[in-house]
Amino acid sequence: MTMVQFDRVGKRYPGGKEALSGINFELARGEFAFLTGHSGAGKSTLLKLMMLMERPSRGQVFVDGQNLGRLRPGQIPYLRRKVGVVFQNHQLLFDRSVYDNVALPLQIAGYTPAEAGRRVRAALDSVGLLGMEKRNPIELSGGEQQRVGIARAVVNKPALLLADEPTGNLDPELSAEIMNLFLRFQQVGVTVLIASHDIALIERMGHRRLILDHGHLHDGQVPAAGGIYG
Amino acid sequence: MAEPKHTVKTQAGASLQEIGVRKRLNAWAANHQLVAVETLMRLLSKPLSSLLTWMVIAIALTMPGALWMALDNMEQLSGRFQASGRITLYLTPKATEEQGQQLSDRIAALDSVANTEFIDADTALNDFRDNSGLQAALDFLPENPLPAVILVEPPLGIEQAALLRLIEQLKSYQLVDSVQLDMAWVERLQAMLALAERLIGVLGVLLALAILLVVGNTIRLAIAARVDEIRVVKLVGGTNAYVRRPFLYTGLWYGMVGGLLAWLLLILCWALLNGPVADLAELYGSGFELKPLSAAAAMVLLLAAMLLGWLGAWWSVSRHLDHIEP
Ligand SMILES: Nc1ncnc2c1ncn2[C@@H]1O[C@H](COP(=O)(O)OP(=O)(O)OP(=O)(O)O)[C@@H](O)[C@H]1O
Ligand SMILES: [Mg+2]
Repeated sequence: MTMVQFDRVGKRYPGGKEALSGINFELARGEFAFLTGHSGAGKSTLLKLMMLMERPSRGQVFVDGQNLGRLRPGQIPYLRRKVGVVFQNHQLLFDRSVYDNVALPLQIAGYTPAEAGRRVRAALDSVGLLGMEKRNPIELSGGEQQRVGIARAVVNKPALLLADEPTGNLDPELSAEIMNLFLRFQQVGVTVLIASHDIALIERMGHRRLILDHGHLHDGQVPAAGGIYG
Repeated sequence: MAEPKHTVKTQAGASLQEIGVRKRLNAWAANHQLVAVETLMRLLSKPLSSLLTWMVIAIALTMPGALWMALDNMEQLSGRFQASGRITLYLTPKATEEQGQQLSDRIAALDSVANTEFIDADTALNDFRDNSGLQAALDFLPENPLPAVILVEPPLGIEQAALLRLIEQLKSYQLVDSVQLDMAWVERLQAMLALAERLIGVLGVLLALAILLVVGNTIRLAIAARVDEIRVVKLVGGTNAYVRRPFLYTGLWYGMVGGLLAWLLLILCWALLNGPVADLAELYGSGFELKPLSAAAAMVLLLAAMLLGWLGAWWSVSRHLDHIEP
């Protein structure tokens, strides 16, 4: 069964810039894939389309069988609860503790504090931050903040996990560890798509790669020097 | 690569459905409670920054509240005078003293009459002579120019309709030349009170608008200060209702605290005026007392304040919040 499907998707930003064009691909349920490409290739844009943070100018996006173009505004929050996201800028809230940051999606989804507590601790445990519940995220290092963001993305047990440069400011060892973490989520059935520049790491891991080049998608292969189309 | 250090308990697809409806409802109620307490604490923790909004609301409510209190008292006053509204019957010159007395007794027996008093023409003239100081002039008159009079006192608190029926009936007696109701000024007073009531209504609407604007603007600033949080909440699946909730409660609390302050101000107004008014009333030999705002009126004031706070917040939120997207 497919988790994500892009059907001839194009995205043009109001400025007139064509960020994506003719994007066709599918992600199977439980698949693990990387999204790579040069800066400005359209990686973030592609991820945002799956969260309805942006809307496609052409074509259709399906997530978990739902045509996102057909969602009523009131249904968007429920889509977002099915999708966990990790961003480059961690989007943490510095007016509350690590625990409260991670608990936010559960609180929103209506979990009781007791249930939420178990899940938050499990999520923090899985990213190795169990001891930091009470700290304020501002006191944490970049890598630790990144992991808090990951814990928040997975705490609601999303069916789809999207990450935009999750290892952006981490050392190689920590990057590898974070990638391992994502792999383990995949092993329990989560569909994972990671946008990353870290070619060396991606090659070592050897998973499916979606390569974006100036808004065009090449599936599974590295573009030859100078691009493979033109 | 190292072995996973931590067990992952995450499972795909397991989500909201596994929580029962009942539990969700409880969680929803718990969230309301939590948000209500949190927003109140947030306001109370920074009383100085909230004070301006509270005072504006309080003053805007105190003005119509004080006028309302004054009006209530005026109505009480006019009610007393109305109770003493008397009817004067002027009899025709043909009427003899005996006929007048008989008519007076007949009228006194009517259901809608409490009491009557017959004053014959001579007595009337003597009273007038004593009171007016026109004795010499009156003595020149060939005959008594004053008619005999029956004073009719309707029962206390008679209804307007019954009073009008009584007057019609009194006019129909042949001996009665004309009927005069000593109530014209009461009616005038009541017309003025009705006008004042209307004015207070208009003022109230304007001040209610002012409260909406003030709360709306305060909430707008609160939203602006929490844009990041709103983005994150929406990103992880917060509904618009969830995002709105704390702001709506904040508006409600602004209204409530403002309403309570207004209540205190009104009590203060009453306390300041009560003494002088009592002194004045005593000078006029009246037992009149300034009534404070009734508990029911105070409740209405408070609820209106909370409603206005909530509406102001709602107005601001629906203008500013739904556009903030991650
Ligand atoms: N909000 C926006 N408005 C206008 N243009 C945008 C907007 N966001 C992105 N773009 C443009 O769309 C193109 C794709 O941007 P995108 O952020 O998706 O690239 P990316 O692959 O994520 O790059 P990076 O690796 O640097 O993060 C870029 O040329 C960018 O300038
Ligand atoms: Mg990007």
